[in-house]
Amino acid sequence: MIVVHRLVRLLIVLLAVTFLSYALLNLLPGDPVTQILGLSATEEARAQVRQELGLDQPLLVRYLDWLGGIATGDFGTSYITRMPVAAELAERLPVTLELLVAAQVIALGLAIPIGVAAARRAGRALDQALTALSFALLSTPVFVLGVLLILVFAVTWQVVPATGWTPISLDLGWNLTSVILPAVTLGCGQLAVYARLLRTDLIATLQEDYITLARARGLSPRRILWRHALRPSAITLITAVGLNLGALIGGAVIIETLFGLPGVGRLIVDSIFSRDYLSVQGGVVLISVGYVAVNVAVDLVYAAVDPRIRRA
Amino acid sequence: MAGSGNAHLRPRDEVLLRVEDLVVEFPAGRAGRTVSAVAGVSFDLRRGETLGIVGESGCGKSSAARALVQLPPPRSGSVLLDGQELTALRGEALRRTRRRLQMIFQDPISSLNPRRRVRDIVGEGPRVWQLPGDRVDEVLEAVGLDPGTAAERRPHEFSGGQCQRISIARALILEPEVVICDEPVSALDVSVQAQILNLLEDLKARYRLTLVFIAHDLAVVKNVSDRVMVMYLGKVCELAPGGDLISRPAHPYTRALIASIPSSARPAETLITGEPPSPVDPPSGCRFRTRCPRATDRCSLEEPQIRQIGEDHWLACHNPAPNH
Amino acid sequence: MRRGRLSARLGLGFWLATGWILLVLLAALLADVLPLARYDETLAGPPRSGPSPAHPFGTDGLGRDVLSRVVHGARVSLGVGLGAVLLGLAIGAPLGLLAGYRRKAADAVIMALNDVAQAFPALVFALAVVAFAGANLRNVIIVLGVLGVPSWVRLVRGSTLTYAGREFVLAARVLGARDRRILWREVVPNVAVPASSYAFIGMAVVIVAEGSLAFLGLSVQAPTPTWGGLINEGRTIMEDAPNVVLAPSVVMFLTVLSFNLVGDRLRALTDVREIGLEPVRQAVAAVPAPTAPHPVRDCLLQAEDVRTHFVTPRGLVKAVDGVSFTLERGRTLAVVGESGSGKSMLIRSILGLLPGTAVRGGTVYLSGDDLTARSPAEMRSVLGPRLGTVFQDPMTALNPVRTIGAQVTEPLRVHLRMGRRQAREEAVRLLASVGIPDPARTLRRYPHQLSGGMRQRVTIAMALSCGPDVLFADEPTTALDVTIQDQVLRLLHRLREERDMAVVLVSHDLSVVARWADEVIVMYAGRVVERGPAAEVFGRPRMPYTEALLQAAPRLTDPAHHRLRVISGRPPDLADLPAGCAFRARCAYAGDRCATEPPPLTEVEGRAYACWHPLPSTETSLEGTHVDGR
Ligand SMILES: Nc1ncnc2c1ncn2[C@@H]1O[C@H](COP(=O)(O)OP(=O)(O)OP(=O)(O)O)[C@@H](O)[C@H]1O
Ligand code: SF4
Ligand code: SF4
Ligand SMILES: [Mg+2]
Repeated sequence: MIVVHRLVRLLIVLLAVTFLSYALLNLLPGDPVTQILGLSATEEARAQVRQELGLDQPLLVRYLDWLGGIATGDFGTSYITRMPVAAELAERLPVTLELLVAAQVIALGLAIPIGVAAARRAGRALDQALTALSFALLSTPVFVLGVLLILVFAVTWQVVPATGWTPISLDLGWNLTSVILPAVTLGCGQLAVYARLLRTDLIATLQEDYITLARARGLSPRRILWRHALRPSAITLITAVGLNLGALIGGAVIIETLFGLPGVGRLIVDSIFSRDYLSVQGGVVLISVGYVAVNVAVDLVYAAVDPRIRRA
Repeated sequence: MAGSGNAHLRPRDEVLLRVEDLVVEFPAGRAGRTVSAVAGVSFDLRRGETLGIVGESGCGKSSAARALVQLPPPRSGSVLLDGQELTALRGEALRRTRRRLQMIFQDPISSLNPRRRVRDIVGEGPRVWQLPGDRVDEVLEAVGLDPGTAAERRPHEFSGGQCQRISIARALILEPEVVICDEPVSALDVSVQAQILNLLEDLKARYRLTLVFIAHDLAVVKNVSDRVMVMYLGKVCELAPGGDLISRPAHPYTRALIASIPSSARPAETLITGEPPSPVDPPSGCRFRTRCPRATDRCSLEEPQIRQIGEDHWLACHNPAPNH
Repeated sequence: MRRGRLSARLGLGFWLATGWILLVLLAALLADVLPLARYDETLAGPPRSGPSPAHPFGTDGLGRDVLSRVVHGARVSLGVGLGAVLLGLAIGAPLGLLAGYRRKAADAVIMALNDVAQAFPALVFALAVVAFAGANLRNVIIVLGVLGVPSWVRLVRGSTLTYAGREFVLAARVLGARDRRILWREVVPNVAVPASSYAFIGMAVVIVAEGSLAFLGLSVQAPTPTWGGLINEGRTIMEDAPNVVLAPSVVMFLTVLSFNLVGDRLRALTDVREIGLEPVRQAVAAVPAPTAPHPVRDCLLQAEDVRTHFVTPRGLVKAVDGVSFTLERGRTLAVVGESGSGKSMLIRSILGLLPGTAVRGGTVYLSGDDLTARSPAEMRSVLGPRLGTVFQDPMTALNPVRTIGAQVTEPLRVHLRMGRRQAREEAVRLLASVGIPDPARTLRRYPHQLSGGMRQRVTIAMALSCGPDVLFADEPTTALDVTIQDQVLRLLHRLREERDMAVVLVSHDLSVVARWADEVIVMYAGRVVERGPAAEVFGRPRMPYTEALLQAAPRLTDPAHHRLRVISGRPPDLADLPAGCAFRARCAYAGDRCATEPPPLTEVEGRAYACWHPLPSTETSLEGTHVDGR
């Protein structure tokens, strides 16, 4: 019930985001026609191109037109490259997906043990060290971290390539070496956020009566932490995983530029520089769909984690 | 139900506050269901009288209290203060009546703004009403706080009992006619509770207050009240002067309440089992019937009406205890 | 005094961070008058040179002074940060206040918009807008400010909601204050605390975002240097001149770290204490007084001189200070006293379940076996099988995300090594024995699906699951309604009889104690002030505090408007106990000696009291027990 309700809500959000972004991109100064024809083109030529591209239609009509296309998988044709946007996105999506998934796996995989270890010994040396570490990571902008990692691992030690991308289909080993540095860079910031959230919530949970009572029943600290405390403390973390997707994608844009990865983020940046609206817009749709999908998944995980949400 | 009816109300011109058929409902989750918190409760107070209201948690005591001050206004019913219908008032007109009707809350800590000084908390009323504010010291004195040391401090520097005194001072400074005390001593220790109960009695005499005193502890309510009203799941069960109610309880629920007090000498057969049903889906007829040892078929069909069973002793039950 | 404590609570890191922020701020403000090379002066030194006295951070590829460029870059970073945070605050805070205070329609609309904003890929939009509208200071500030609005709305709405629901806001309405006044006087001052903390964290976020834009070449344009831009330029030559990229990186990192740190410490000021599962080791443990030699008695439970002290900033808090008692099988010992008298801490001390900051002293014997000498692991084999525990609030006593079945069967499986099936069958029996209807179905349910009374029955069933010898019940019925309270107390009594257990019943309610306990100890300020058989203690109290407690509670049999005898004042501050008797300031019988010497617990005919001027042992009416606490 609740999940259906949320799904409807998220779909509305999806529509609103695409419309707003469509409108915003179109209303901003800068004109694709100028981009295509150059500044010296005549008024007639401009009008001609305008009509060809459908830019003479009212905004809403153009949006609905475009939306109809999306529904059938047609993301339009780039004004600039004259390539179907969908094809371009499809080609680059795997790169970004791999990067995001790898970053998320690194972040969560490390954040959970770190958060648990810190909370278990809250206030002691290990906790203070881990807290300081996550604070430092949290305060390091991705591009700074990326540059430092390149400096150390690619330039000084030369264990991984500084830039470039090898698809999985070509060579798994090379693929992994090309994704590891970007993924670590992107994951580290998230890792810090997640570990801190989990630590705070765990500490709060550990002060609950039911934990004291579990101790009073003679259960071991390990059992109490993993079986009793972790699940009720995971709610904020799960929410963060859903909400942070925006931040993660922002990071991906930078990472792809920094490491020269041919992903969607890079495509969007390039398209922005060339005023290629449809490609930007296609990227936005992709991101928003991803956001909605992740949040639906988060809702499902919620229900699995907390029975209070699971009402009929 | 533990019942409805207005038989127990006294003539309008004799009373200061008259509440008729008060109904308070809250939305419950989805699908338009409602919690029936107060379901047709009537009572009245003479000037200078104290009415005690007892009942278990969730029986609608606090909802009724808040409905009296119209925060939020009741779903239906009437609240007449000195002949003026409060439920009909909105906005500025309602605000103008606020001075006459003040309230004291249960949680002494949460009812004081942690960021303000005691002087500002107590002086807020006069500032709102643009009255001279120099009575703060006098009122603090009256509630047993030393203005010199207390006024410039913030709430966290006080104990629960002292915070409750500050709350009382805040209400009193406006010289209200009626003060509604919603579980004012429930969060306090016995020794401090006694201090506050005595203080309320003193202030009542000194400022000629009319009190509505709500609590879940029968002994406490009886101690301060002229009349005691027992509520169950949003309904009135029984109403009588405290002594009468304790010595000759007629309603099965009143009897169970008394028997549940560990020190009482009541026989165990008046005890009840089970738990209160959900106010989202109250039982038909008498709302107490699911736990009532004396329930009959009639109780599920017909809601008992309030009737008189003694001089100023009122009851809503089909089968009252025989030895009444 | 308060100020000193405040600065200590904020910690050294906070002050270092504040110092760094001020330094960067000053440098940015004074960039033009500082004796630095011009930021755009090429060949101010040899290109790509490392740090030197003339160029502390070295020079870049064009021979420009890196320090000067970093300092000028700070202007952009801090300027954008300040501008964007203020803009976000100016738009977001009023919306958040409105949504949180008005709720209903306003809230729904604002939060729906916020949802949409949340789904916006923020950085992509910042890029697009800046690229299309022009990369200049104003546009960057506007874009980053607007993108920050949703976070502000969420934060301000959240804390407005908490405070608007407090009773003091209701009280202000009852006083007749208008909404605007309530918002300004009651809500805003409280919301300001988290908001000011978030302002710093927001600065950090914006500085990073500006850096990202600049890194992609979409912030303030050259020749004005920006940190992100410097890093981007520097990375092309990082192989032979790493200082060019490292200098702005480090400065940016420290600045972001400082803003985060300041924001975090400000927030922590309002947060709860942080305590983990394992105790913090005390630097210097305040060792409680050495215990006098004592005989180990032949009884089920014996507590000798139990002490629980807390080392707090206010001083040593003696929450429990030398409590001794013995308890036999089949009997109920009640511990009474007002809030803060140390009842709960006594129980936790005995069970070894103290918070990390506590120091424990004394000895506890279970059938002659010293529990305090056990390691935590050894203690675990006693907790559950021999000592059962029930707490006050059934709403918080069960894990909300685990089924009743998982929780009830757990001790059976851990301690008694039962299999899944067997444990379930035993759990059904247990639940039935505590009066839960339809136990098999209840096992599959979650705590939130049960009422308070039912949950307390479940916790009792769990405490009893391994057949303990002693059941500790800390205010087991205080959170329940009177009619339910009575049912639960009867249940406890019945179970004690059936299982021949001993019960330690903690309560502040004298009538409960008088009705259900065999023995009673009365606690005041962490010490036992009176001890003995319940009927005798309540029938003929010898210690003035016990007497006063009995008389302070209103009785059902008193006439209406009966004046209660009050105990004036309140319990003493445990961190600052008076010399002599702790009750002296409130005692009607106090004499000179009471002020100087603490009265020892004197044993007389199976009873004990701590008082220099005990009440006569003449018979007073047993009516005195007919009282009710709360
Ligand atoms: N972690 C702690 N640090 C410092 N002092 C503490 C801590 N926990 C408890 N105390 C203090 O110990 C004293 C005894 O507390 P305890 O909880 O035992 O009282 P209680 O008699 O159970 O009261 P109540 O009736 O309110 O439950 C109190 O003054 C309390 O402030
Ligand atoms: S006897 Fe009937 S009417 Fe009276 S309280 Fe019981 S159920 Fe209600
Ligand atoms: S020792 Fe003195 S002050 Fe303490 S209770 Fe006895 S008489 Fe009162
Ligand atoms: Mg306690």
